[in-house]
Amino acid sequence: MKKWRISNLYLALVFIVLYLPIFYLIFYSFNVGDTMDHFSGFSWRHYATLLSDSRMISIVLNTLIIALLSSLIATIVGTMGALGIYSAKKATVKNGLLSLNNVLMVSPDVIIGASFLIFFTFLGFSLGFGSVLLSHIAFSIPIVVLMVLPKINELPKTMVDAAYDLGASSWQTLTKVILPAITPGIFAGYFMAFTYSLDDFAVTFFVTGNGFSTLSVEIYSRARQGVDLEVNALSTLMFIVSLLLVVGYYLLGRYNQNRRLQRVKAAEAKINQ
Amino acid sequence: MHKKATYLIPYLLWIGLFVIAPMALIVYQSFFNITGHFTLGNYEQYLTNGVYLKMTFNSILYALIITLSTLLISYPTALLLNRLKNKQLWLLLIILPTWINLLLKTYAFIGLFSQNGSVNDFLRFVGLGSHQILFTDASFIFVAAYIEIPFMILPIFNSLAELKPSMINASRDLGANSWQTFRRVILPLTMPGVKAGFQAIFIPSLSLFMITRLIGGNRVITLGTAIEEHFLVTQNWGMGSTIGVILILAMFVVMYLTRDRKVKGGRIR
Amino acid sequence: MADNVIEFKKVNKSFDETRVLNEIDFEIEAGKFYTLLGPSGCGKTTILRLIAGFADVTSGDILFEGQRVNGLPANERQVNTVFQDYALFPHLNVFENVAFGLEIRKLKKNEIKIKVDEALKLVHLSGYGRREIAELSGGQQQRVAIARAIVNEPKVLLLDEPLSALDHKLRKEMQGELRDLQRRLGITFIFVTHDQEEALAMSDQIFVMNAGKILQSGSPVDIYDEPINHFVADFIGESNIIPGKMRQDYIVNFDGQDFECVDAGMKPNEPVEVVIRPEDLDIAPIDTGQVNVTVDTQLFRGVDYQITAHDAMNNEWKINSIHPTKIGQTVALAFDPEDIHIMRYGETEDDFDARLETYD
Repeated sequence: MKKWRISNLYLALVFIVLYLPIFYLIFYSFNVGDTMDHFSGFSWRHYATLLSDSRMISIVLNTLIIALLSSLIATIVGTMGALGIYSAKKATVKNGLLSLNNVLMVSPDVIIGASFLIFFTFLGFSLGFGSVLLSHIAFSIPIVVLMVLPKINELPKTMVDAAYDLGASSWQTLTKVILPAITPGIFAGYFMAFTYSLDDFAVTFFVTGNGFSTLSVEIYSRARQGVDLEVNALSTLMFIVSLLLVVGYYLLGRYNQNRRLQRVKAAEAKINQ
Repeated sequence: MHKKATYLIPYLLWIGLFVIAPMALIVYQSFFNITGHFTLGNYEQYLTNGVYLKMTFNSILYALIITLSTLLISYPTALLLNRLKNKQLWLLLIILPTWINLLLKTYAFIGLFSQNGSVNDFLRFVGLGSHQILFTDASFIFVAAYIEIPFMILPIFNSLAELKPSMINASRDLGANSWQTFRRVILPLTMPGVKAGFQAIFIPSLSLFMITRLIGGNRVITLGTAIEEHFLVTQNWGMGSTIGVILILAMFVVMYLTRDRKVKGGRIR
Repeated sequence: MADNVIEFKKVNKSFDETRVLNEIDFEIEAGKFYTLLGPSGCGKTTILRLIAGFADVTSGDILFEGQRVNGLPANERQVNTVFQDYALFPHLNVFENVAFGLEIRKLKKNEIKIKVDEALKLVHLSGYGRREIAELSGGQQQRVAIARAIVNEPKVLLLDEPLSALDHKLRKEMQGELRDLQRRLGITFIFVTHDQEEALAMSDQIFVMNAGKILQSGSPVDIYDEPINHFVADFIGESNIIPGKMRQDYIVNFDGQDFECVDAGMKPNEPVEVVIRPEDLDIAPIDTGQVNVTVDTQLFRGVDYQITAHDAMNNEWKINSIHPTKIGQTVALAFDPEDIHIMRYGETEDDFDARLETYD
């Protein structure tokens, strides 16, 4: 049974390495001192600093507003796009739209960020809340399409025919038959767009300008200054929020679908097709 | 049925403005120098100035090392996870850290690797003495691999889970021992998972610039770091775009190399 | 004794707490076509897995040519398997699939080529070597799976419901081919199926299984004509099973009458079950046969009519007849003493064999 012990030891080691840095961060958020290398006593001090840091709180609010708004708009546009792709008659048009849809799914974040920066500057659009919001909408749309489209494709063709047969107009068919049937896909798309937005650093970093910041960008600029246990306190709170999100997604049955994992899935699907 | 065209308008606008236009602009921008004049100089400079080629080569080398070490750790992990009883739950635990903000995980290593950090405490404790860990190539590779591991485990795990047990039985039945079964059946049949993992890690490894900035200091420069530097620090957008175009090309090359070579489905008879 | 390739001695197999094989004893002789027949979950596939080495017994012994092979890994056993889902390797083409076992044994390249070509020829797939597995039809994949197994010249070929995924016509065709292949190769086939027709058509010897036990073994004719109990009679073919009483040797009472029969060796007035196959019943004008029945339903099946009827005691009768009747008509059923088969309640196969000895 020696083999068994070695393999379990290996797995245990992988899990320890995976979780150690996270718990290390959380542990030192309770440090009375100011460093991440010497724990001199328990305290809520850094949490108090965090909660009274009005700059940080306004950044959290900014981040949430951007996430909520961008995912909402991306869901609307993406759902319309999915309906459009579905109703495209020619296979070449359909595949062309799908390929264009996937460009932002596979492009590295720096490329998206840099090209959006050029784009906004080219148009003379000033950087800040507006540019960040537009960028988040832009990179969230393709995932909404990818979530909604399979649901539309699953719809039995006869269902739409039945609606027309029973006298519904095309608008009534859309709102009373098709949209209710694809609601799970729309919700999945919305939640995913929401996490995309919360998680993003690189694209925002390029298009944010000077006056506006989101959490990821703020953490980056503080981390560049060195250790700041207020960031640790923040990470504890974010860890709890992530945990709640994962539990929520787990209950929805799609826990493994944040942005990067979605890309892995896309790669898998491409290779397996 | 005429409404179709109207509800497509926002989506088509998005494709035009945020997919086609930015990609076209990055290519366009790569032909302009810092003073705004049309030139092929950026490409010329990229190809002739050793610094850029060396940086590209290093970036690819780093990405390869990161991807391969991730693969080396992930394959056995996925294999062992697949044998566990509640394997889906364990997989969830592997995936959970990907939900923690990337920057926070990177930030943790600033503490862990610092001069008086826990890793150095440990090294002193076992008598190896303290070392400069932060801002070295090794720390950059380690942190990058740490971040990427779940993205390699997941696709390999999935392809292992899809492997029919009868495949392994058939191989044993035909006389293959465990090692022969692994090499001739399990490994080739899970190659799609390995390729997916390779794609998912190699490209970000070329382009993630925050890890190089925070952990690698200024020692490690990847394609991503160079792009960020040219756009946000030196404001040489033309050169930054040129490197961006190179990165896009690299992406296509990787996708081409890791495509599925086997013609499946084939002719219908 | 030396002719037994495989022997099971008091083999038990449990998964967790559930017992799937219960005291299995049997011998398999070299060069015959055996079938393990039973409903799903009866343990027949488990027996195959034990022989192949994919699973281990909970207790008991498995002998291969007289040698105990418990715990011997699958790759060291001289048996090969044709899997239910074929288990062909999708990353290898037809030739490479068939060559797999030979390459493991490190045969020379030209030797491998000769053997593979020969095996492909045997299954009528000459020239298919370079095809990909995904390009083949279900029937062709089936043949590749057989070629991949027999090319290794195993002592025993195990076939786990290999025909179940094929359509009816192809299945009939493959049944004939498998039988033919077994005769030509002269190696032992152990075939697992839940399809009694398939078992009757192909086998030299059938083991009928239910709930982890072998109920009866014998040639297809023996099992069909002399089922040992209600389960076997019901599972193999169609039958009329009527409760009765053994008056004395060669006289059985059922349906309120005494009938002459060919069975003996039971206690006087012992309750028994009487089996008469539907095709052994002839329809005759009323009062000219043994039992009068009234026809309830009639279905035309192409070769014959399937008729159900009831008698005065309200027993159901199934009759297969080439002549039609009319629903509601009363007719007579005629049968001979040899058409009647008597089954005792709870008789084991050993007791049954012993009883036959006494009067055969």
